[in-house]
Amino acid sequence: MSDRKQNLPQLYRFCFLMLGDSRKAQEVFNTTLREAAVRAAQGELPREPFWLFREARWRCLEASKTDLQPESLEIEEHDIAPLSASQIRQLEPAQLAIWISAAPDPQRTALALFYLDEFDYLEILDIAELKLSTLSRCLSQGRRQLQAWLDAKHDGAPKV
Amino acid sequence: MRTLRILRRRRALLNCAPINHDHLADRSMRAAVSRENGSEEFVNQQNFDRAVAELVRLLPIPPESAEWFLEKDAVRRPKWTWKRIVLNPAVLAISIALLVIAGVFTFQVLSRLNDFPGSATARKLLSVAGSTRSVMLDPVSSEAGTLSDLFFMKHGLEHYDVPEEFADFRTIGCRVFDDEESRRIAQIWIADKQMQFFLFPAERDIKTGAVLGFPGWRYVRQEGWVGAVTEHNGVCFMAALRGREKDLEPYLSGPKQ
Repeated sequence: MSDRKQNLPQLYRFCFLMLGDSRKAQEVFNTTLREAAVRAAQGELPREPFWLFREARWRCLEASKTDLQPESLEIEEHDIAPLSASQIRQLEPAQLAIWISAAPDPQRTALALFYLDEFDYLEILDIAELKLSTLSRCLSQGRRQLQAWLDAKHDGAPKV
Repeated sequence: MRTLRILRRRRALLNCAPINHDHLADRSMRAAVSRENGSEEFVNQQNFDRAVAELVRLLPIPPESAEWFLEKDAVRRPKWTWKRIVLNPAVLAISIALLVIAGVFTFQVLSRLNDFPGSATARKLLSVAGSTRSVMLDPVSSEAGTLSDLFFMKHGLEHYDVPEEFADFRTIGCRVFDDEESRRIAQIWIADKQMQFFLFPAERDIKTGAVLGFPGWRYVRQEGWVGAVTEHNGVCFMAALRGREKDLEPYLSGPKQ
């Protein structure tokens, strides 16, 4: 497996973005790698690329299945502001992770994989088993919702 | 309609446009990005994405999880070595199967290498020799060479002659029977060495009816028996005994194959 396909720090970050909880992320990360190590020792490591991420994704979804689920509300959306970058820089990384982890799937997976800046869109489609139109919608909505949240945090920003 | 579809796809691609330009995966994505490069909306999107990605990179990794990074090879697919390939159960099974097939094929080729017209009949008769008891034959005590007259006079079998090499052998019995293809077979039991002689019609060409002859003596083997066969005047003669070719060799003259 190439180093990119098993970029372990990125795998941990992916788990954290998916779960928004360091303890749970660690648990899923460790379990995934332990399973991989056992399979590697038995010579049964799957050939498919990025299977570590795919495996971790399912474990994350499984782990968060029993969590309290957010109510399905119409979430506010704002156009991306030119100053959004500076708004984002004022966030704590964990805050962002919690925000992403609260999104429903597949938006959560799409945002987590996309903002890792590790994969191209074809690889994301493969790992998350999505269509281009779905991935596009998830990312577009995610940006606009995150912008609305940022605006709400830094009130005074223009509302559309 | 087609234009609308293209525009929708371009929009979809732009929404997935990579943060890092190293991830411009394919031509359609490159085309969509280069077309939109510089537009305010796209620049805002890219700045937004870059800022989020930078924040993600700042996510701390707990030391307990970082331990795995030192053991990266633990989750690496082991490299294929010749030993691993050879010991792979699938490769092993295929290799054994191929060896068995090759063995059977070689055996078939070798066993057919000495085939000659009439060899199939000769093999069947060796089986007959193995299962025959002397009491099943009519008792005849004479020299084998003299039996050709008996075969002609009693059974109408022409040219059922015992070759010179075996003409002096003393017989204890003989019989004439039909095989499953209704060919007339003469069987002679020799007093010496449990040897048996067979005389049977030589094979003929299906179209022309011409005798398919062969020169000298040819050996056949079946179930521990060995036979030396020769053809003369459209009739094959076979001397058979339980043993090996070297047991028959001293009796034969002329070219052997």
